[in-house]
Amino acid sequence: MFIDIHVFPAFYEPINGDPAKEELRHRALNIHKNGTAPLKHIFNQMNCAGLDRLCLLPQDYTSRTGSPLVTNDEIRTLVDLAPDHFIGFASVDPNEKDAADRLEDAFARLDLRGLYLHPGRQRFFPADPCAEPLYRICEQYDRPVLFHAGFSYEPDTVTRYGHPLAFEEIAEQHPKLRICVSQFGWPWCRETAMLMLKYPNIYTDTACLYFDSASEFYKQMLTQDVPITWIDRSLRHQIMFGSANPRFEQIRMANSLSTLDFRDSTLDLIRGGNALAFLGRKF
Amino acid sequence: MFVKAIHLCTKTYVEMTVITPLVEDIVAESGIRNGMVTVQTKHTTTGITVNEALECLESDIQYALSLFAPEDRPYCHARILPDYGSTAGNPTGHLKAMLTGNHCHFLIQDGKMIRGGAQEIYFCEFDGPAQRTVLVMVEEK
Repeated sequence: MFIDIHVFPAFYEPINGDPAKEELRHRALNIHKNGTAPLKHIFNQMNCAGLDRLCLLPQDYTSRTGSPLVTNDEIRTLVDLAPDHFIGFASVDPNEKDAADRLEDAFARLDLRGLYLHPGRQRFFPADPCAEPLYRICEQYDRPVLFHAGFSYEPDTVTRYGHPLAFEEIAEQHPKLRICVSQFGWPWCRETAMLMLKYPNIYTDTACLYFDSASEFYKQMLTQDVPITWIDRSLRHQIMFGSANPRFEQIRMANSLSTLDFRDSTLDLIRGGNALAFLGRKF
Repeated sequence: MFVKAIHLCTKTYVEMTVITPLVEDIVAESGIRNGMVTVQTKHTTTGITVNEALECLESDIQYALSLFAPEDRPYCHARILPDYGSTAGNPTGHLKAMLTGNHCHFLIQDGKMIRGGAQEIYFCEFDGPAQRTVLVMVEEK
């Protein structure tokens, strides 16, 4: 099974009936000229990439944007439209007083399968006390957390909140919590590799493409910035495929993985085996 | 001038679709007896071309275009585009579209589109799958 663990459905047609909301999403995410995508197009894209499942991430930056850009209920709506294609995550803003209640609701009522947080956008450090109740709820429901880590091209973001080293304390204090320090913490890929070596509950994904073509960028990040032998020998159980689509190109990124000379078994883990382990294999 | 759009949802990365019947329907719908029809894609990684509709030729056309613009080359159009907020990765689509061109014209006489026996209008996708729009403009002369 080939899973994209890192997809933003902000411009999927079924949740974009309101032009004002769509315009807000374009502006707040700094993604433009892409229009909205009917699910038929999303499925065609999945077919071309060879993907079996997309993990859909909502975006709740209420303390910065006034309301969630994509709500947990909208994610549930999308998953219900295509349960064989989509896995839904939850998002809450740790700065909001009702964040814990909203997360519990997302897990208990909406049956969402993990939590997405963006420290750089939500302006909190991962070890801040405001986020601690959220981690406890994730542990209670056996759900993983996927953090945006490293650089972000979204507006209104501050990079230091998502530096990979900022995740060490929670990895240490919550050894049973499955944590994704996404996009290899780019550009701090070696720091992320260090974390993964030290903490088996830390995962990462490949959801970045900030320079060059997909094959050139992956070659740089996954074979040189982090030597391919480090991944193929030591970190192979902790890396998941992610695209951050629509920011980046899902199809070319997916296809580029197979050009990197990983062992076939490593490629299988990156394509889906690790995501299944991260998700707890329950969806 | 009578203008109508054809909407296509392409399924694969590169594909060629005959749209002649759709264009002829629009010409008929326009009611224009004598004039010209222009078929023009609204995109820069798609093309409009006229050729014989044979699967062997479709393969040869796609092969020839891929020789001109192979996928695995160090193209400059591979970077974050600030106006889009996303990374460009479709240089070959732009280059292939440059070769096919983005439009074609046909004469209309007595309400019929005049074309040679082997001539079909192709919509060419070079960066699919995608949602595409083709404009058909019928002018009376």
